Amino acid sequence: MAPFFQVVRRDLRLALRQGGSGTLVVIFFVLTVTLFPLGIGPEPMILARIASGVIWVAALLAAMLSLDRLFQADFEDGSLELLALSPMSLEMTVLAKTIAHWLTTGVPLIIASPLLALLLGFDSGGYGVLLLAMVLGTPALSFVGGIGAALTVSIRRGGVLVSLLVLPLYIPILIFGVSAVEASVTGLGARPQLLILAALFLFSGVLAPIASAAALRLNLE
Amino acid sequence: MSLHKFANPARFVRLSSPLLPWLWISTALLLGVGLVLALFVAPADYQQGESVRIMYVHVPAAWMSMFVYSVMAVASAVALVWRHPLADLTAKASAPIGAAFTVLALATGSLWGQPMWGTWWVWDARLTSVLVLLFLYLGYMALWQAFDDPQKAGRATAVLTLVGAINVPIIKFSVDWWNTLHQPATVSSLSGPSLPASMLIPLLLMAVGFMTFFSALLIIRIQREIIARKIRTLQMLQANPEAAAVTAASAEPS
Amino acid sequence: MLPSENLPLEMMVKPKNKRLSLLVVVSIILVAAVGLMLVAFEDNLIFFNTPTDIVEKEIEADRRFRLGGLVEEESVRRDDDGLTTRFRVTDLTHTVEVSFRGILPDLFREGQGVVAEGKLNAAGVFIASEVLAKHDENYIPENVAEALKKSGQWRGAGE
Repeated sequence: MAPFFQVVRRDLRLALRQGGSGTLVVIFFVLTVTLFPLGIGPEPMILARIASGVIWVAALLAAMLSLDRLFQADFEDGSLELLALSPMSLEMTVLAKTIAHWLTTGVPLIIASPLLALLLGFDSGGYGVLLLAMVLGTPALSFVGGIGAALTVSIRRGGVLVSLLVLPLYIPILIFGVSAVEASVTGLGARPQLLILAALFLFSGVLAPIASAAALRLNLE
Repeated sequence: MSLHKFANPARFVRLSSPLLPWLWISTALLLGVGLVLALFVAPADYQQGESVRIMYVHVPAAWMSMFVYSVMAVASAVALVWRHPLADLTAKASAPIGAAFTVLALATGSLWGQPMWGTWWVWDARLTSVLVLLFLYLGYMALWQAFDDPQKAGRATAVLTLVGAINVPIIKFSVDWWNTLHQPATVSSLSGPSLPASMLIPLLLMAVGFMTFFSALLIIRIQREIIARKIRTLQMLQANPEAAAVTAASAEPS
Repeated sequence: MLPSENLPLEMMVKPKNKRLSLLVVVSIILVAAVGLMLVAFEDNLIFFNTPTDIVEKEIEADRRFRLGGLVEEESVRRDDDGLTTRFRVTDLTHTVEVSFRGILPDLFREGQGVVAEGKLNAAGVFIASEVLAKHDENYIPENVAEALKKSGQWRGAGE
């Protein structure tokens, strides 16, 4: 297991050295959410109603924009090829890199989300479920997004393309993430939605590294 | 490997060309008779009235939107596992046709929904999952365009198709799993089709007509793609004989 | 910077066993995910709430939600302004009074399924901002329906 954690540690160290790109993701996240009160108008009733949706959409976009960091740099400087040649399977390498990606982008998003919910006047009853849904949903965002990042790793200026590939696949996570929060706020109970989010997390955690590794392999050839 | 016989592009062109006129004739007959029956002969529904006739286009189009994606998913799996050159081409040639069927299904459904449900569009599970299907088709085509090398493009899009294939059962069963506004299956329900023969026959005629239409288009598009690749290889051969020899060998194993 | 020099060696011990155990882990996780899905579907994910849900879950006034059910027979009344329609939605256990101002869809009729979006007012009346008619999977020719009704064998919904 040691090489696995070495890859995680290496990616974390790289992310930290590059000047806190996790902070950039959070700033993007906060800015996007801020646009909504400015664009829609500061009426507290409306803002409170759309808060969970706004937070999820912004988190989705933030996670997507950070995807280029996942494999791109390693592909360009050739270290991805070395990692692919190492005895650890490429699938495990992808898993390690995705976990590092989630730690540097997903976790900051989770930490920032209650603060943004506060700014939007979010119903006080929903914070627990919002956090839980984010904890289950953001890793799935990283895993699924990894497939898109791996497919487009050799394409220059693949940013728009990644969004076209990844956003449709993000839709289930968005739907169940938002409806979990809505259900808990309206007192209907968020259990089924949270269970499905957990299932999506497990599915993507197992299947996405396989698909991503296949995509990386063909790009490395 | 008997399958490899049909994987040879040149043989595919030779074998499929005689099929084409028959496919076109049956398409014209099926759709012609189907449309006449659907629009003029079939009875109006006791609740929907004349609007029920939209169903004869909407339902086959929706079936095809899922069927074409399933074809692509199978072709993609074959392309990834056995590297059949023809499997790649089948998936690529299917995508725009599938996207067109999906748009047709969404548009006709919307036209029907406005008078019947009282809305052009609702975000229920069936409608949303079909919209995702359309995005998958578009993403597929965009990803193919992004690669210069058709070999890589074929394999990358194959991975994407297989990932997106999860959506097909979701579309199919969305009406059973969720309380959707969209009605559950009529023809393929467990208790047998719950519509009379006067409606079922035109519906099936239209469905088979759409199927032959798809087959004809697919064959033409595959043939065109084979020719385009040949031209590409020849052009590369002219420009750089040594490098092109490698590509030619990998593009056309016989 | 790249610690890949000390990556290998210990990984090379038993690749076959490793593969097998990996496969086992993967299938356990997949089975767990399917299990979670099945449990979730037992709870019934909802596009709309039924009148019984409203009673059981005690949905408060002024919360927007979707109400689904059948339009109760002989409950549809139009107000004098010609725009507002009042009817009762039932799931055969409980009923809810609904008021809607606007144009109803073609399929709206008594006995037919509807989904209405809106909120309860203080008096417990559901003020709908949108009414959608739910169609069932049965298709029956007009004249056949007439004949069935005449002979008294009609089992379908509505008029």
